[in-house]
Amino acid sequence: MQESGVYITLAGWAIFHLLVFPGGLFALGIGLFLKGADRKLEARLQRRVGPPLYQPFLDLIKLSGKEAMIPASAQRLLFRIAPLLGFTGMAVCAALLPVPGVYAGLPDMGDMLVYFYLLPLPAVALILAGSSSSSPFGALGFSREMTVMFAYEIPLLLVILAVALHVGGGRGAEFSLGRIVEHQLEHGQLGFNWELIPAFLAYLFFLPGTMGVPPFDIPEAETEIIEGPLLEYSGAALAFFQMAGAIKTVVVLGFGVALFFPGTLPGGPLVNILWFLGKCLALMFLTMTLVKAATGRFRVDQAFAFYLRYPTALAAVSLILVLARL
Amino acid sequence: MGFLSKIAVRSPWLYRINAGSCNGCDVELATTAFIPRFDVERLGCKYCGSPRHADIVFITGPLTLRVKDQALRVWNEIPEPKITIAVGVCPVSGGVFRGGHSIEGPVDRYIPVDINVPGCPPRPQAIMEGVILARELWLRRLEKLEAGGGERRAALS
Repeated sequence: MQESGVYITLAGWAIFHLLVFPGGLFALGIGLFLKGADRKLEARLQRRVGPPLYQPFLDLIKLSGKEAMIPASAQRLLFRIAPLLGFTGMAVCAALLPVPGVYAGLPDMGDMLVYFYLLPLPAVALILAGSSSSSPFGALGFSREMTVMFAYEIPLLLVILAVALHVGGGRGAEFSLGRIVEHQLEHGQLGFNWELIPAFLAYLFFLPGTMGVPPFDIPEAETEIIEGPLLEYSGAALAFFQMAGAIKTVVVLGFGVALFFPGTLPGGPLVNILWFLGKCLALMFLTMTLVKAATGRFRVDQAFAFYLRYPTALAAVSLILVLARL
Repeated sequence: MGFLSKIAVRSPWLYRINAGSCNGCDVELATTAFIPRFDVERLGCKYCGSPRHADIVFITGPLTLRVKDQALRVWNEIPEPKITIAVGVCPVSGGVFRGGHSIEGPVDRYIPVDINVPGCPPRPQAIMEGVILARELWLRRLEKLEAGGGERRAALS
């Protein structure tokens, strides 16, 4: 009897984490705020006024009221499922995200390998969307998305391995995100560890690729293949892609914070949430906004070669250094 | 619900259709009206690549025979409610191309144009005023839609 009560409490907490904090509402709110900050900062960099900070919220409300069209020749079922797939994948990721000092993640479930499998889901959703929309631009976009995805996943895997082996410290690899954060709170942050600085740089390179911002916005290049896989989406379905993108921003930035800079401030949970938000904002400004405002767009082969050269080499250096010390 | 309409019109996404324009108005749209000096992004505007994402559509050019079918097809792919702005003097009268053998215009023979922004090319300030007028018209339409309920397309035309 007592045991079932424990399970019900656990299930209740899991649902709370999925829907309210840190997944669901919290991640969506922060993600949309980050997107708005991104547009505002980019505009300020170009000496424009820019939209208000809450612009992404307005966009979502507008989109939910628009007519949703489905092309006559599309694969209707896949076309409808694709946006939900990316969104749910990211919502689950966000629920497992540790917010240092506030929420430790789910120690037995919040595993880096789970992230490695769930993080590509929005890209997979784009691939499904592009292939089911029956548009030639969608098909072009999805083939580009697949190419770029394979290139940027390799440095991510090496980064994850380097961190796991370092934290495991000779006893094997430690993949639990919650324990990695704990380890760093005790032994110092990995971002200040010289062995793992190359891995951190590789992760910085990984961020613009996975978020699809210039110069890596190749699959959704709106000026050449008119937004590729998203071309045929309108109304609420497009809003789901936008929400998935917003949550993904929080997830990849928060994952970076948890891996390299999970330090906490003395003070209550509120201070630490703001501190987490500040770190996310700084990371986003460095890897997305600045890069976006300053660059054009790579060709797909250039992006592929870039990812297989520099970020992979950096991550591999870290991995070798970590292995040499074991 | 009226509250939501007022929010919705603060996020107009723009799309351009070039219906055989000489490119003068397009340059004016793409660059002059969207550089730091005139920045329409502060109104929440954003250029989108796909007609399916658009709310406000700019049409430039006198609608030549060669692009007529394609232009109409793209216009039909824009989801309702949409506002159509004809930019430049060509969509209104044909401009310098008036009477040419390949001119099918004026544009409103085929498409219900909501706002004309005349000029050859129009000044950036005029284009921005067109966007602001389009937002007001869009709001009125959304309110009419709510009052009428039911038939979307009928209420919009």
